[in-house]
Amino acid sequence: MVYITSWDEFVERSAQLFRADPDSTRYVMKYRHCDGKLVLKVTDDKECLKFKTDQAQDAKKMEKLNNIFFTLMSRGPDADVSEVTGKEQTEAQPGKKGRGRKQ
Amino acid sequence: MVLLQPDPFLNELTSMFEHSTEKGTVWVTLKRSSLKSKVQRNKMAAAGEPLEYRCLIRATNGKKTISTSVGPKDHQRFQASYATILKAHMTSLKKRERKDKKKVAGADKKEGGSKKPKRA
Repeated sequence: MVYITSWDEFVERSAQLFRADPDSTRYVMKYRHCDGKLVLKVTDDKECLKFKTDQAQDAKKMEKLNNIFFTLMSRGPDADVSEVTGKEQTEAQPGKKGRGRKQ
Repeated sequence: MVLLQPDPFLNELTSMFEHSTEKGTVWVTLKRSSLKSKVQRNKMAAAGEPLEYRCLIRATNGKKTISTSVGPKDHQRFQASYATILKAHMTSLKKRERKDKKKVAGADKKEGGSKKPKRA
């Protein structure tokens, strides 16, 4: 199995894989509490990338990756992914920041 | 395979995590899907209708499988709740000891194992 050691490389290549073939790429997460292990897999059935960890800090990074995938998958592969925050601020909810909008 | 609405799905997912703490695994799969068969898709493409894609999420503990599909409008809310659930349950992962030299509050459930002794 293709285990990738660098997190950034894993993210980079998974995003590439997804954009190349959004219809057949899937992202799988396996968690075993008794072993304290987390394994992530991204595959398009031709190529497979995996990442395994037992570190809590990687769980946080994984959450950001989850956000990226959610956005890409529900909005389409061309969606703008702000990879830093993981939340889209392009046109999310303009009403939130407006002060004194309601008069 | 049980197809649920996003909220019941999250509840079931939580209980799956809770039940598999002592032994067992939880798998979660994310995939993009339009939820339509190929024939329908071809028809829609021919008619010029834009395809609506959704994110299909599946979870299983090896015995039971549940799934839900999330569209672009509800995906942010779903991903926030999903992140919360994961954070709450992934407690058995190890914490980095690099900076914390005093006390690593890692006396969780199963952190015993083989921890390297701290170098004083």
